[in-house]
Amino acid sequence: MRLPELKRLVTQEHINLYAEASRDFNPIHIDAEFARQTPLGGTIAHGMLILSYISQLMTNSFGESWLGTGKLSARFKAPARPGDTITVSGKITKMQKDEGSISIYCDVACQNQRNEPVIIGETKVRVKA
Amino acid sequence: MTQPRIEYEKLTAGYEFVPTSFKLDSRMVMAYLKAVEDNNRIYKEDKIAPPMAIAALAMAALSSGLDLPPGAIHVSQELEFINTAHIDEMLTSYARVNRKVERGKFHMLSIGIHVENQKKTTVITGETSFILPLS
Repeated sequence: MRLPELKRLVTQEHINLYAEASRDFNPIHIDAEFARQTPLGGTIAHGMLILSYISQLMTNSFGESWLGTGKLSARFKAPARPGDTITVSGKITKMQKDEGSISIYCDVACQNQRNEPVIIGETKVRVKA
Repeated sequence: MTQPRIEYEKLTAGYEFVPTSFKLDSRMVMAYLKAVEDNNRIYKEDKIAPPMAIAALAMAALSSGLDLPPGAIHVSQELEFINTAHIDEMLTSYARVNRKVERGKFHMLSIGIHVENQKKTTVITGETSFILPLS
């Protein structure tokens, strides 16, 4: 079973806002001139910003259960850049009944508009039976 | 939210960073929600803090105490949300070097993160890993 997808357009404005909120002012995220001179060739979004989309996907599907029991394991495969459209998807792979609850396991991913993986990972959430 | 900085070369497995406390003020949470375009009502109506906002602040606390060489890449992130936290709560973040190993041409550094509330109840645990080019 697939979870309802999310789509997010990454903009430099979002990246700058995230830098302010997270207090992560690494110039690779916010300084275009600096970033242009690095092998990345331009600014990139914070990995944690893109990872937050997976948490949104899980919160939309499982509500407070995700916020209080969620578990996430993710690998960053490629940077997301301003202008990228990220599709966030999830698929339930296993459901396991425990005492009074059900553990739900999912494969999750963020892909860019070229279908390249940006983040891949697995989640687990416990919901009341 | 700053702490003494330590260079990568001086880190060893077991090294503990200075714990860092931060308040989940509503301005920060609102800025975070705007940045990630999260309109879920749960955060506004129940005043629950998004766990990824807490994780972001824990990472910022870690970054303020760590000098990684140029070319370091954040390769993986594990997080477990143990208990919810609410806006205006004071939290403390702890970080510890779990592993520092060589793998092929790269060094790999894994740091465990643990966030507690004022009652010493765990809110989030996790592990963040970086690969670094060999110098």
